[in-house]
Amino acid sequence: MNIVNLTQVTYTYPLTDKPALSKVDLQVKEGEFLAIIGPNGSGKSTLCYALAGFVPHFFKGELEGTVQVAGVETKSSTLNEWVMNVGLVFQNPFNQISGAKYSVYEEIAFGLENMGVPREEIKSRVDQALILTGIDDLADRSPYSLSGGQQQRVALTSILVMQPKVLVLDEPTSQMDPVGTREVFGVIRSLTGRGMTVVMVEHKMEWIGQFADRVVGLYDGKIFINGKPREVLTSARLVGRGFGISRYTSTAREAIKEGIWPEDRELPVTLDEAIKGFKKISK
Amino acid sequence: MHERLSFYVKRDSLLHSLNPLTKLTLAFGLTFAGFLSPWYWTPHIVILLIIIPLSIIGKVQREYFNATLRLILPATSFLFIMQALFQPIGKTIIFQIWFLHVTRESLSFAFANASRIFAMVSSFTLFLLTTHPSELMSDLTRRGLPSQFAYVIISTIQIIPQMQAKAQTIIAAQRSRGLETEGSIFKRIGALVPLVGPLVFGSLVEVEERAIAIEARGFTSTRKKTSLREIRDSGLDKIFRAVLVLIVLAIIALKIWTH
Repeated sequence: MNIVNLTQVTYTYPLTDKPALSKVDLQVKEGEFLAIIGPNGSGKSTLCYALAGFVPHFFKGELEGTVQVAGVETKSSTLNEWVMNVGLVFQNPFNQISGAKYSVYEEIAFGLENMGVPREEIKSRVDQALILTGIDDLADRSPYSLSGGQQQRVALTSILVMQPKVLVLDEPTSQMDPVGTREVFGVIRSLTGRGMTVVMVEHKMEWIGQFADRVVGLYDGKIFINGKPREVLTSARLVGRGFGISRYTSTAREAIKEGIWPEDRELPVTLDEAIKGFKKISK
Repeated sequence: MHERLSFYVKRDSLLHSLNPLTKLTLAFGLTFAGFLSPWYWTPHIVILLIIIPLSIIGKVQREYFNATLRLILPATSFLFIMQALFQPIGKTIIFQIWFLHVTRESLSFAFANASRIFAMVSSFTLFLLTTHPSELMSDLTRRGLPSQFAYVIISTIQIIPQMQAKAQTIIAAQRSRGLETEGSIFKRIGALVPLVGPLVFGSLVEVEERAIAIEARGFTSTRKKTSLREIRDSGLDKIFRAVLVLIVLAIIALKIWTH
């Protein structure tokens, strides 16, 4: 059952000539974890905005093709309908904190207040969401007193509490240190475990290799590659195009050139795979 | 990074438990009384018999005293001196420095004016000390203030100190690249130029992202918004507000009548 269906989507931002997305076809099954990779300027953020309805409802511009997510189709809906169905989390945690609330608890409740949810229900949903993402100990603190990783988890919780059907994340860990990254990935992993459909733009190949069901590569606004994580992340097509390739994959490639790594062996994506692979060689 | 971001001080007092609109009405009421009353000594009575006792009832007397000492008194004293010296009224010269005279009339005028400002700033200080910004905004929004308006005010209060911190980071970054920030006034003004770009453009990008973020939380939804906090508006509050409005109207009437 496809919960995301993009057909021949072409989008051009206002006052620009070149389309940011060109004839994009993309389907995502319900409960799938799709990772999106691509060099800078390839249209990844635009794709996220399109999945969340902000393209074109917020940014205006020209959209061709159909975008259907969680039963809502772009042209026949308003942005308000989209935000109820699709959650959007992006890079900079600081810019996602509303600034209107003085405690994490209230910050998370903000979205529900806007939706007109009754007070008792707000409380129970916020209480649950805090536990789900493991930040219940931060409930009384000011959002501005938190670390980047904590703030990003607050941003994520603020969106999750609205119970979206699809969660779109645009490089959520790019501004985070390793600890923060691990915290955020931990939460996302538990969400996919519960059947949430997740679409995530990410540079950190090692993490994608571990968790994603499928990987799509964007290049120049077009879908460039689409397949299982292993195939895509070790594909030679990524080389020399600005895709951030996993250092373990690159190292193994160099090792093949030097004759150290056997050509027929699978290239590693994660540290563990690299360790196993290189250990075999030294025997 | 956890600073006190507003004037509000959390206490358990009668003033704190009043509805935010009531306290706002009180602050305006006292201000109007001070400015409009035909009786000379009104602002002084307001300060001595209303504001100071209220600060004690509100358990914020220490904070109010600090604010008075550091801000209100210096500012109003300065105003007093300036007006006493430069207000060109009156004939009974008491005092003369060079070409500036201080007359009995200008002294009296300056004292009245300074006291009115003192009363005004004091009443709003009391208001800010005993009212949480979130509560105020929720209450006003509930009563019809557009939510965008409330959002702009309250987010500005919180975000400005954060922006200041960012500005410091940008300044530090530019200094480490050789920007000279000390020296003559010209040098210092010149130092502002490479700061304006990152600050302004950075802020614009941030504003767009924040707009998207609050949009993603349904901010522009046309549904009737609910509130997590319950804000009491008791019968006492309503009566109090009505009485305040009547008093101000009476003062206006008195002023017109005695003219």
